[in-house]
Formats: sequence, C-alpha cells, structure tokens
Amino acid sequence: MTASGLSTTGLTKSFGGVRAVDGATVAFHHGKVNALIGPNGSGKTTFFNCVTGMIKPDAGTASYRGRDITGKAPHRIARAGIGRSFQLCRIFPRLTVLENMLVSVRTSSLLGKLISARQSADVDRARELLARVGIDHLEHAEARDLSYGQQKLLELAGVLMADPETIMLDEPAGGVNPALIDRIGKLVRSLNAEGKTFLIVEHNMDMVMSLSDHVVVFDRGRPIAEGTPAEVQEDPRVLEAYLGV
Amino acid sequence: MPSDSDLVTVPARARTSTTTRVAKVLGLLVLAGLVISFPSLAPDSFILSVGVVIASYAVLATSWNFVGGFTGYISLGHAAYSGLGGYGTALLITRADVNPWLAMVAAGVLVAAFAVPVGIASLRVRGASFVIVSIALVLILLLVFQSWGSFTGGSNGIRLPRPFGDDVLRPEQHERFFYLHAALLAVLLLCWWAIDRSRFGMGLKAIREDEDKAQSLGVPTFTYKLVVFVISAFFTALGGGMYALWFGFLDPIFQFSILVGSYMVLMSLLGGIRSLFGPLLGAVIVGYAMEFFKAQYGDTQAHLIAMGALLAIVVLFMPDGIIPALRGLVNRFRPQAASIREVSAAELAEQRRAAEDTGGSERGEKEEVRR
Amino acid sequence: MTGSLLLQSLVLGVLLGGLYALLAAGLTLYFGVMRVVMIAHSAFLILAAYLAWFFTRQTGLDPMLSLLFTVPLFFGIGVLMQRLLISRLRPATLTMMSVLLTFSIALLIEGVLGFAFTGTHRRIRLPYSGAHLEFFGASIAVVKLIAFGLAALSLAGLYILLKRTRFGQALRATMQHREAAQLVGINTDRVAGFGFGLGLATAAIGGTALALDSTIYPSLHWHWIGPLMAIIVVGGLGSVPGAAIAAMALGLGQSLLQIPLGTTWAQTFFYLALFATLMLRPQGFFGGRLAQRF
Repeated sequence: MTASGLSTTGLTKSFGGVRAVDGATVAFHHGKVNALIGPNGSGKTTFFNCVTGMIKPDAGTASYRGRDITGKAPHRIARAGIGRSFQLCRIFPRLTVLENMLVSVRTSSLLGKLISARQSADVDRARELLARVGIDHLEHAEARDLSYGQQKLLELAGVLMADPETIMLDEPAGGVNPALIDRIGKLVRSLNAEGKTFLIVEHNMDMVMSLSDHVVVFDRGRPIAEGTPAEVQEDPRVLEAYLGV
Repeated sequence: MPSDSDLVTVPARARTSTTTRVAKVLGLLVLAGLVISFPSLAPDSFILSVGVVIASYAVLATSWNFVGGFTGYISLGHAAYSGLGGYGTALLITRADVNPWLAMVAAGVLVAAFAVPVGIASLRVRGASFVIVSIALVLILLLVFQSWGSFTGGSNGIRLPRPFGDDVLRPEQHERFFYLHAALLAVLLLCWWAIDRSRFGMGLKAIREDEDKAQSLGVPTFTYKLVVFVISAFFTALGGGMYALWFGFLDPIFQFSILVGSYMVLMSLLGGIRSLFGPLLGAVIVGYAMEFFKAQYGDTQAHLIAMGALLAIVVLFMPDGIIPALRGLVNRFRPQAASIREVSAAELAEQRRAAEDTGGSERGEKEEVRR
Repeated sequence: MTGSLLLQSLVLGVLLGGLYALLAAGLTLYFGVMRVVMIAHSAFLILAAYLAWFFTRQTGLDPMLSLLFTVPLFFGIGVLMQRLLISRLRPATLTMMSVLLTFSIALLIEGVLGFAFTGTHRRIRLPYSGAHLEFFGASIAVVKLIAFGLAALSLAGLYILLKRTRFGQALRATMQHREAAQLVGINTDRVAGFGFGLGLATAAIGGTALALDSTIYPSLHWHWIGPLMAIIVVGGLGSVPGAAIAAMALGLGQSLLQIPLGTTWAQTFFYLALFATLMLRPQGFFGGRLAQRF
C-alpha cells in the first residue's frame, strides 16, 4: 500500500555545513492523513521543499505513485498530483479571490491556454470550493484585503482547485485562532473521506493527534519514529527528541 | 441569518458592473474618436509629428508592458529590441531590397528569434539577472553597431528610403504614419487585453504576484515568462521598425540608448503597469512633457534631471501608477467597496457558526436560499 | 605578438582587474545586505572622479587628498540612501523597484554633473602623469600602479573589516541570512545602512583612482556599469571573494583580448562571459546559494 504513495529514499540536503535533511527515508500512507512532526529546525520544511521541487536535494530520491519525482520542477510535481501550502500562507495579493482560484486551472492544449480564464465551469467549481471553505462571499475582494485566517482558507481552496490527490500542508494551524483550527481540521477530515491523501507538518499536537492516522517524527533531518498517534506518543525516542538536549 | 451588508452588496455590485461597462465602451469610443480626428485637429505639421512621436512611444511602452505588466519583470533594455527592429528593417531594405513593410515584419520575426536565447539566459534565475542582462544587451548592441561600420553604417548611422515615395509630402507622410502607429497600437492593446483575460494571462499575473506559489500550483513559470518575453520583443521590434520607416534615419547612439528603454519603463509605470491603457496614458504625459522640454530648453542635461526625478518620485510614491490611483479614488465613493474587511470579518463569524451547525458541504445550498 | 607586449597586457590586466575588484566588491555589498542591484554605483564612481578633479583644479593639491573628504561623504550618502530611500520600498518588489530607484539616481548624477561641469572631457594633469616604469620591456604608467595600489589597499582593508571585526561578522551574517541575524540580536537595519555606506565608499576610492589616469565625462558611467554587472553575475551575486576573482579574470581577459581585437571589441568579452555564465551556471561561478534564489 505504501509503495503507491509518496516516499523518499536517503533524501539529503545541506546548507553550508548544516545538513538540514540527512538521509531521510520515509514512506507515507496513501489515502490517509499523515503528519510530520519534530522539534524546530528538525528539517521538516526543507524536506517538504525537497519533495515538492522548490529545492533540489543533494542526494537521495523521492517518488510518487511509482514515478521518480526527484529534482523535478515544482510545476511538474504539482501536475503529478501533489498540491502544497506554504508555512507563512502565500496567496496572490493583488488578484481577487476568484482570480486566485482560477490560477490553479490547468490545460495542456494551446487553445485551452488562450481562452478566457473565466470559463463558467471553472468559475462554478471555484465558487463551490470557496463556499466549502467558507469565503465565497469575498470572491471579488483583492486577496491582500483578507484577514490572515481568510487568506489561509483561500490558500487551501486554491490548492484544492488544482484537484491534487495528495495535499501537503505546512503548518495549517500556524497563527490562526482555535475556531479556525477546528474548521481546517474538519475540512481535512471530510476531504480525506473523499479520498485525498494528506501530509501535514504541524506543531499543534492536539490537531496532529486528533486528525492523523499515521505520524512520522523528524529529528536532525531524518525520521526517528513512526506509527499511530498513540504509538508515537509512547515512544521514548520521541520524548527524548522533544524534551532532551 | 443573512447579514444586512451582504444583502446590500450583491445588487449594488450588479448595478455598478453594468454602468462601468457602459462607461468603458463610451470611453473607448471617445478615445478612438480623438485618435482618428487628431491629424485634422493638429494646427501644423510640427504638432502632427509630435503626435507621431507620442504614438510611437505608446506602441513601445505598451509592448514593454507585455513583460513588465504581466510578469513584473522590469526590463531597462527594451531599446535593444526597438533598435534591432529599426536596424533590421533598414538593413533589409537597403541591403536586400526587401519591400519596406515586409522588411518591418521580417525584422520583427528575426528579433523575436533573437529574444529566445536572451530570454533563456535571463529568465532562468529570478529578478536581478534579468535586469542586468537587459542593460548589458543595450550596451553590447551599441558597441557592435557603432564598431561594425561596414555592415551597419557605424556611428554615421543609416538612412532609409521613404516607404511612400518622394512625391508624398511631409504632412501627408506624418498623417499616414500617425494612423499606422495608431493601428499597430490598437492591435497591441487587443492582444494585451486578450492575454489579460486568458488562462495564460492568469498564470502570468500569478508569476508577478508570487512566482514560487504559482509554480507550486502547476504554472510552468519559465515557459510562460519566455513566451510573453518573446511576444514583447516582437512587438517592440515592430514599433522600432515603424519608427525607423517614418523617421528615415537611424543613429546607434539613439537607437541603443538606455534612456529610450527607461522611457518605456517610466511611461508604463506612471500610467500603471497593471492597466491596459496605463502605458498609453504614460506615453501621452511623458511624451508631451519631453517634447515640451526639448522645445523650451533645447537638448540639455535638464531632461536627464527631470527624467531621473520623475522616475524616483513614481517609484517611491506611486509605484502602482495613475490609473489604479484614480480607480481607488473612484472606489472610495462607492459604499460597498469601502469596508471589505469589516464585512468579511462579520461574515466570517456568522459563517463559522453556520458551518458548525451544518457542516461544510451544505453551505452552498444555504447560500442559494439566502440570495 | 612579442613577449614584452604580452607581459605588458598581463600587467595592465592585473592593474585594471584590481580596480574592477574593488568596485565589484562594493556592488556585492549592496546586493548582499539589501538584494539591491545598484545601478548608480558607477555614477557615484564618476562623481568621485569629478570631485577629485575639481579638488585638484581648485587647490592644486594631489587628487588623492580628496579622499579625505569624499570617503566619509560617500559613506554618509550611502547610509542615508539606504535608510531614507531603499528601506521605503516594499519588500515584495524590492529587487525590481530598487533597480529603478538607483537608475534614477544615476540619471540625476549624470544630469547634475553635466549641468555643473558641462559635457567637456576632463583630465587631471599631474607632475607624474607621464612617468613610466620599465619592467622587463613592458612599460607601465606610474599612475596606473598608484591606482592599483589604492584599490588593493582598500580591498585588503575591506577584507580585514569583514573577516576580523565584530561589525564585519554582523555584516556577513546579515548578508547570509537576515532573519537569523536578527534572531541573534544583530540590528540588521543599521548593519544594512553601514553596508551601503561601505559600498559607496569603494566608489569614492575607485573614482579617485580612475581620475588619476583617465579622461572623464558625465556619461562615462555607462561604460563602467556593464562590465561591473557582468563581473558580479560571473562571480555569483552576493559573494565578495567571487566578485574579486571574477574581476581579476575578466580584467585580464579584456586586457589580453585587446591585442588581437582592439579596445572596442575586447569589451564584448564581458558580455559574452555574462551570457555564458547565465546559460551554464546561473548561480555564478563562485557564488553560494544566495544567487540561486534571485
């Protein structure tokens, strides 16, 4: 089952002398909600960036659904079916909310690129997703005028618009209020029920433990433990990584 | 529980979108009327020639804005493409005896081909190297066209025959070229508009706003940038070629001049690079001011100072340009646009409650009922 | 090609490379601390050259004495420029807008120089202007040696400042990772201001060195900015040693190519190197990962 999803073998990336990701070999469970946790600076975000092509790894491989995606350009990885959000929520500030959504529409044909971006089917789908995250009333507002929480929802909706199979969220609960965390959690759960795989980097342990099926713990650039939330919580290596040093 | 603001907002928006559409069509008609009647309104041949110069600037600035406005990459060296377009036209006419209009288009195609490797070199890395290459290109071309006298005419320049023959008098020639420039400008504006509303354009604007993010959503950023860059070079070359046919003489110092490239930037930025008519508006203002300056004070260093000061002011205080500033002013008088944030915050709270009651998926229906 | 001609070109190349290296180090400082491509660098270079020339014309003293006031003056202008102008720009569009802002400053300087001193070509006459040193059959102008000495001394001083002092450490930390530098308690705004000041100070020294043996005119800065830009790209944007090595290599290359090609065509070498670098190794040949992101 794991072979069909996202996995890495010996993934390594150093900056200067520091090995941010150090030979990480991980297989995520396809169709499940996976969480990636670990102390600050344990290389989770760098790992994320290596997998999604934002950074080229120095060594190792990443594969998705049996295809090698190591060092591929980010847009190719996106088109392979992996969507991602960014740690500090990134949206297109001077485009409207609706336009933000329409950026995610993909076409391979030349003609498809030249027709109007506001195809009614796309607009309807965008509105549906905006309604699902709860910001459809803002579709004409410029994204920079939204509150931070709304921007986070917009980012998530934009990722969904591209219809990825696997969704990687970098700290979805970071900097938002408890009610919104709750709402994002519910969204993740209902999307997972529809078949989306999730990979979530998160510091909010309540969210991780309540939401995820499978937890991978990172320390010093590599996984040190994995299992169900309950298993991981019991693991002495995890406690050491968090409390030790 | 519908909030009042939402009930007010929706019809208000529907109404304004019809009125703005009517206003836009009217504005377009007035603009077209002004352009068509300009030659007959111009009191003398000199004013008419100023009109041609401004139209030429408008063509160049709008061409520049294909790459500047959509992707946010600022090229200071677009004079390279207008200069090459001009020289390409001149050389094809004088050395290969090609029909002038065919030469102009052929030069545009050649310049577009030339822009491909340049684009590959300068667009692979972000930002800084693009600007550096754009400046370097103008400097290297100036060097080459000045030194390679046997082919390009060198520092002495190159003379073009008049495309309409010698029996067409000066004012008549100005008038024809004014309309030709206006027609080219119309084509450019149409293309810009078409890209602006297309999926391709949406990808480009996403690159301008956040390139990494756009790529992570599947936009092939490098290809998109390269394509629009080549389109921009092609149109700039056409503009350069048309200017060359009108003016009849090319000097490398003026063709491959950083200043000419920076005029395009200043005009577009002043008018507003995210607006269809921004570069045109900027060209009219800056072009008129420059001609006025030249007529009043001659060709002194004063225009450098004025140009530098104006550019600095625009960059520091109104980087979005005149048109967005005006639009913002208009929007301030519309009731619903004034407080998006407040409305949305209230809405959000209301919806959170709704979402908690019913779960996410029913929200769509609920919305329908409300409206 | 005779051996002495080759030797002469080599020596001239090294001498020229020294000046390039100093100026490119300045450009690298701006880019490092603020991610700013400072188009006005060479305009300030010419401004300093004019100030040296004007100083000598008014006082009859040696132009190098003008450094006593141009260096502090330029340092101050640099700090003010960063604090008052560059820091006003929005971070999202900083790279592009700073190019335009510094470009407009370059135009202003060129315009003011033209206004104050007209477009006439100027040259400083010194008692040692015509002196030459014979060196294994190569004839090297003394003023070029002095200019190189100035550049080399300043570059060495800059190196010591960056490597050995607390301020240098803070500056390097800011260049490498601004947020991390802030976290360890470095006032990065102040450091960035000083970095800008230092960068502009290299233009003051370079300008004086230039004034010793060159004819100057207001639009001369366009001839300098292209090669300097090429150097910092080849060296890897943001790497001071990279810029110095690239400056030496390109200076030598230019000087050697002058023998078969002549001065004009030899200049194209810089641009060819620039394009080749971007095609083959866009992050530059000596730069770190800084350039990759920009």
